[in-house]
Amino acid sequence: MREIFTAIKRTPYQSFATFFTLFLTLFLSLAVFFILTFLYGMLGYVESRPQVTVYFQTQTSENNIFKLKEQLLSSEKVLSAKYVSKTEAYEIYKKLNKDNPLLLEMVTSDILPASLEIFAKKPSFLPEIADFLKKQSGIDEVNFQKNIIDKLLSLTSIVRKTSIAFFAYFIITTIIILISITHFKIALKKDEIELLQLLGADRFYIKKPFLKEALFFGLLSSMVVFLIFSALFFVVRPYLQSYLSGVSNLSIDFGFYNLVIWPLTLEFTAASFLITTLFGVFISIASTLLATQKYIK
Amino acid sequence: MLDWLKFYETMIVFENVIKKFPLGNIALQDVSFEIEDNEFVFLVGSSGAGKTTILKLILQDTLPTSGTVMVNEFDVSSKKFHHTEKLRRNIGFVFQDFKILPEKNIYENIAISLQIMGISAKEVKNKVKDALDLVGLNHKEKVFPVQLSAGELQRVAIARAICGDRKIILADEPTGNLDPKTTWDIIKIFKKIEGKKTIIIATHNTDIVNSLKKRVLILKEGRLIKDIRKGGYEL
Repeated sequence: MREIFTAIKRTPYQSFATFFTLFLTLFLSLAVFFILTFLYGMLGYVESRPQVTVYFQTQTSENNIFKLKEQLLSSEKVLSAKYVSKTEAYEIYKKLNKDNPLLLEMVTSDILPASLEIFAKKPSFLPEIADFLKKQSGIDEVNFQKNIIDKLLSLTSIVRKTSIAFFAYFIITTIIILISITHFKIALKKDEIELLQLLGADRFYIKKPFLKEALFFGLLSSMVVFLIFSALFFVVRPYLQSYLSGVSNLSIDFGFYNLVIWPLTLEFTAASFLITTLFGVFISIASTLLATQKYIK
Repeated sequence: MLDWLKFYETMIVFENVIKKFPLGNIALQDVSFEIEDNEFVFLVGSSGAGKTTILKLILQDTLPTSGTVMVNEFDVSSKKFHHTEKLRRNIGFVFQDFKILPEKNIYENIAISLQIMGISAKEVKNKVKDALDLVGLNHKEKVFPVQLSAGELQRVAIARAICGDRKIILADEPTGNLDPKTTWDIIKIFKKIEGKKTIIIATHNTDIVNSLKKRVLILKEGRLIKDIRKGGYEL
């Protein structure tokens, strides 16, 4: 550590330049990472909601509803259809409005409609199913979320492509800046490097102080970025909470593991920290390795 | 692997060595000589005679255009010789301009030559102490180079060169920047290690060479013109 601090004291401007370059890149990368994970979480959430919800008129009998359900299930276009009775609808309503007694007093189970929550086998079947339902008798309203999913999919795709371009640009720029800074540091230590070579030091021994410094800056910048980002996240958390008030949780399914991202979990926080740290250390060490490989012969 | 545990009687061999620089300047022309283990040799000649080139060839800091340079039976003139670091760990080098790192104190400047070999901190401490004792600077280990005189700096450089049981000591004009009294102090240090290491001193100081009566290799315009076993020389 003493060696690293001495090196920082000897080249303060280069050290600050290294820190701030890494800080900026890691901060923006972490922000993009959060935006992407939340968008994917939202997409997963919307996809897990009923894709078509059909509300029946209050006088429609349960028998008719069940007949329609059977008809839908036998069509081979519907994956599942869940019946929500008036009583169940009232229970859901009560749960959602438990903090508002006035709204609870105004509504009874009689006035809430029964509904069917339908999942299609393919999103392309959704308009067809919706059209079929609209033509049936006893139907009050048909909602289907294809547009929302499509919009979210296209937004996620745009953000993902922009992020890739952004990451590529930032990684290349950061590496070039860090290589230049390391080159400058190598030039400042030219006499010492020449002497070490004459004394019989191997290449790794000569590169080691530069790599140690790179590791230090990679770790330091990623930790500072994570701390500042966490503080900012807690500032915007109440706004996010009110925005996502109806959403019980957001998660990303990796197949082998389902990572819950909202409400904020320890796993997601740890994963974000780990990714930021690894990215910071990788970018810092990789640039230093490239610079030392090129300039220390 | 270099077997430096075994030391041969003949430590350095130059065989028909020619060194030409890319622009055509000839630094060495058909130079041949042998230096025994623990021998004390002066390499003399005017500036540009080829003294430094010979030292650089031993260190494998440059390769000859043709001919062979052998150090402890290893052909260091071959492009296939890839153990430069190991070779240099057995050679201590003393420069005219000292090459002492200004931001490190005396202890650190000497210790560096041992740390590169991966020697333990405790052993480094003992070896640096021994080297400082030998050059008479044991009370100045915490001092920084800027606080030392030229003679003291050269003594630090010698301490660094002899540290770590380096078998060969090469000195390129080690007294070039020093006054006559300090010059003799430095030569006394070399005399202390005489017979324990192979010492090659490149110089054009006739007083030293003539008074020590050691072997002298005289170079002129890249040619070895005389090899005097116990002698002196005149410019």
